[in-house]
Amino acid sequence: MELMTAALRTLNSLPVFWLVLSLPALALMRGFWAGDIIAMDMLHPTGEFSARFMIIAMIISPLITIFGNRGWTGWLLRRRRSFGVAAFVYAMLHMVFYIVDMEELEPILAEFWAPGIWTGWAAMLFFVPLAITSNDASMRWLKRRWKILQRLVYGAALLTLAHWLLIHDGMTGALVHFIPLFMLQLLRMIITYGRKKKNVIKADSPRPL
Amino acid sequence: MKYPTVTATLAAATMAFGFSAPVHATGKMTCEAGPQSGWVSRADLEADLVEKGWKIKKSKVDGGCYEVYGTTPEGDRVEAYFHPVSMEKLLVLRRGKELFRKK
Repeated sequence: MELMTAALRTLNSLPVFWLVLSLPALALMRGFWAGDIIAMDMLHPTGEFSARFMIIAMIISPLITIFGNRGWTGWLLRRRRSFGVAAFVYAMLHMVFYIVDMEELEPILAEFWAPGIWTGWAAMLFFVPLAITSNDASMRWLKRRWKILQRLVYGAALLTLAHWLLIHDGMTGALVHFIPLFMLQLLRMIITYGRKKKNVIKADSPRPL
Repeated sequence: MKYPTVTATLAAATMAFGFSAPVHATGKMTCEAGPQSGWVSRADLEADLVEKGWKIKKSKVDGGCYEVYGTTPEGDRVEAYFHPVSMEKLLVLRRGKELFRKK
């Protein structure tokens, strides 16, 4: 029985979770090395997984606002940093394979200002400070500013959405991912606003006799 | 529990719509070239382009035309559309920017 508990605890540990998050990348890399997937075709899946993990990291707070503190929201919250860092690692892969696919600097510069391209670079730029401060030391060092800094993720999300909409043929893929995020954020705002209003009314109302 | 149910339903509906949407032609170019049996093969088109100085990454059919991803002899990284029977160059795009369109 104890062995069973220990095994389950290991399965539920963060390192195992990181392994799970890295599985798509491992499968893609294997395909690339085997010659089954060319660099150009690595771009869409790496980009999509990056956006997916970023969105999951971003919906955890709204889910807590909507559903309250529950076992599963706590489980997700403990893995939020893992999702965020995974989003960054997949974005890095996305960028590296873009460079591999383009082969030379000249064509990269030639298309840099295409709307679908610079938005991708800008999103990457937003991701960097988020990723390098995704550790306890940075949280301690930046204190309250850490939370403000992490709000850069909203900028990164908007740029990612623009990049996806502008670079890809058809909007379905981008919308399928971003509409749930948008709806959950909207709902969170409505609920938070409602709670604030309720508190204000309570504070204003005359004291009971 | 009203909001969560509504949100969950809408989110699920969005995803179901997205995943069930069929793969469409991109609509960037269409060719009326008759049955595929009369087409030049993709391999022949690619060989012809390589001879003209193109570097090819990949090619496929889009909107009844051949769509080729690669580098032009001038060094532009593009996607280009060719007529599948005449092999005529119809449209060249670099990340959405039109570099050539047949008049």
